[in-house]
Amino acid sequence: MKNRLKVLRAEHDWTQEELATQLGTSRQTINSIETGKYDPSLPLAFKIARLFGRSIEDIFVPNQEVTGSNEDQ
Amino acid sequence: MKTSENSLGERRHLLLFGGSASAFILAYFGARALLELYPMATWLRIAVVLFPILPFGLLLLTIIRGIRQMDELERRIQLEALAVAFPLTLLLLMILGLLELAVKLKPEDWSYRHLWPFMFIFYLVGLMTAKRRYE
Repeated sequence: MKNRLKVLRAEHDWTQEELATQLGTSRQTINSIETGKYDPSLPLAFKIARLFGRSIEDIFVPNQEVTGSNEDQ
Repeated sequence: MKTSENSLGERRHLLLFGGSASAFILAYFGARALLELYPMATWLRIAVVLFPILPFGLLLLTIIRGIRQMDELERRIQLEALAVAFPLTLLLLMILGLLELAVKLKPEDWSYRHLWPFMFIFYLVGLMTAKRRYE
């Protein structure tokens, strides 16, 4: 799953540690999400979306979406 | 505020972990020394040798509490570490079990107390592998 977390964090000028503290998670979790190595749980994805005032779909884009749209054609 | 609460919790956890681990090590070697130095009735030998179970139980409870305090990625890493350690332990037990069908294994080389360090090593291997995956 791709995401825009790094971009949004940069827009707010937050470090990974600061974002992690606000979400009640660890810096490693933020880093793993940003690098696409870990997909967050639904509750954490909601927390992230609420913190940035956006919808989950604005931040997280499933890889299948691209493949799926190609298959539909 | 949240950060200071977290670090306070982590410090408390480390203190409990270190305390119970130290208590277990002291109790284990203390029990072994008592058994070697003083002749005792069988029931007393059993009581002495099982005494380290108490601090070890405390150590396990501290570990379980620590896992409950982890965030979702840390828990996944722990799960993947166990997913490596458990099958490796099964493999070791199976090898020893099969070997016992063919040869007599010496209890002084292969008893229960020789197996748990392997379980710890397998867990560390799993932990390092899982941590590297999410770095």
